[in-house]
Amino acid sequence: MSNRRSRQSSNAPRISDDQMIDLVGKLRHLLPEISERRRSDKVSASKVLQETCNYIRKLHREVDNLSDRLSQLLDSVDEDSHEAAVIRSLLM
Amino acid sequence: MQPTSSMKEEFLKKWQMGLEIVRPSIDNTNVSERKKAIKLSADVAMASLRKGTTCWSRALIQKSATEDNFLVRQVLSGIKAETLINKKLTKKVVCHRKIVRRSKKISRRKSRSASEEAAAKAKRIVKKRTQGLRSVVPGGEFMSNDVLLLQETLDYIVSLQTQVNVMRSIVDAAEAEIER
Repeated sequence: MSNRRSRQSSNAPRISDDQMIDLVGKLRHLLPEISERRRSDKVSASKVLQETCNYIRKLHREVDNLSDRLSQLLDSVDEDSHEAAVIRSLLM
Repeated sequence: MQPTSSMKEEFLKKWQMGLEIVRPSIDNTNVSERKKAIKLSADVAMASLRKGTTCWSRALIQKSATEDNFLVRQVLSGIKAETLINKKLTKKVVCHRKIVRRSKKISRRKSRSASEEAAAKAKRIVKKRTQGLRSVVPGGEFMSNDVLLLQETLDYIVSLQTQVNVMRSIVDAAEAEIER
């Protein structure tokens, strides 16, 4: 007698195993750290999700940092200088 | 799945367009205002690449519109700017703690084997991680379907990589120019 307990989730439908495996596999390829590990390693779904979160936060910080650098750059350059002209042509 | 050169090109064009529009915020203000303007135009450029086809980009557009409505309209012009800015996002996903606690209590009454326990615990952790993901993906709180969340995440990451890639090239080039 099989005791299949089907749990009713109160909110969103759970991911089916196949879909999860597929999407998690795709995420793996995007994440720099995990894709470096050996292919044969089984990476748990929760680990991939965690790495994904961390990666996204890292990308956010990079954008922030780059915006900062650019802002400082524009500050340091004299309005009428040759450098300013070159930078403006890069940006606008 | 990687940032393609056409994505990068388009991002650069849109970003440049945006920077031109926020020029007053760049030319005449302090460093932090300038940084905000630069970042905002980069985000609008990134979101506009998807032409309103993804949930995260729509959420980002709406958020950016609250900071600079004019900028968003200009960069999106031709992509139904009006609808995208004003369209209501669907209901927020709220985790009712009481309901979750009650359903956990009910399932605990049945006796569980060790493997069932482990499976249940794993599911809980996955649930926690997906909630974490919802908090970093724009509009995540509106994605009730976990499959949708993961698909959106994939697309969002590729877009972020595009954004970072192009911004980095520009900033590196600009810094090199200064050092000459």
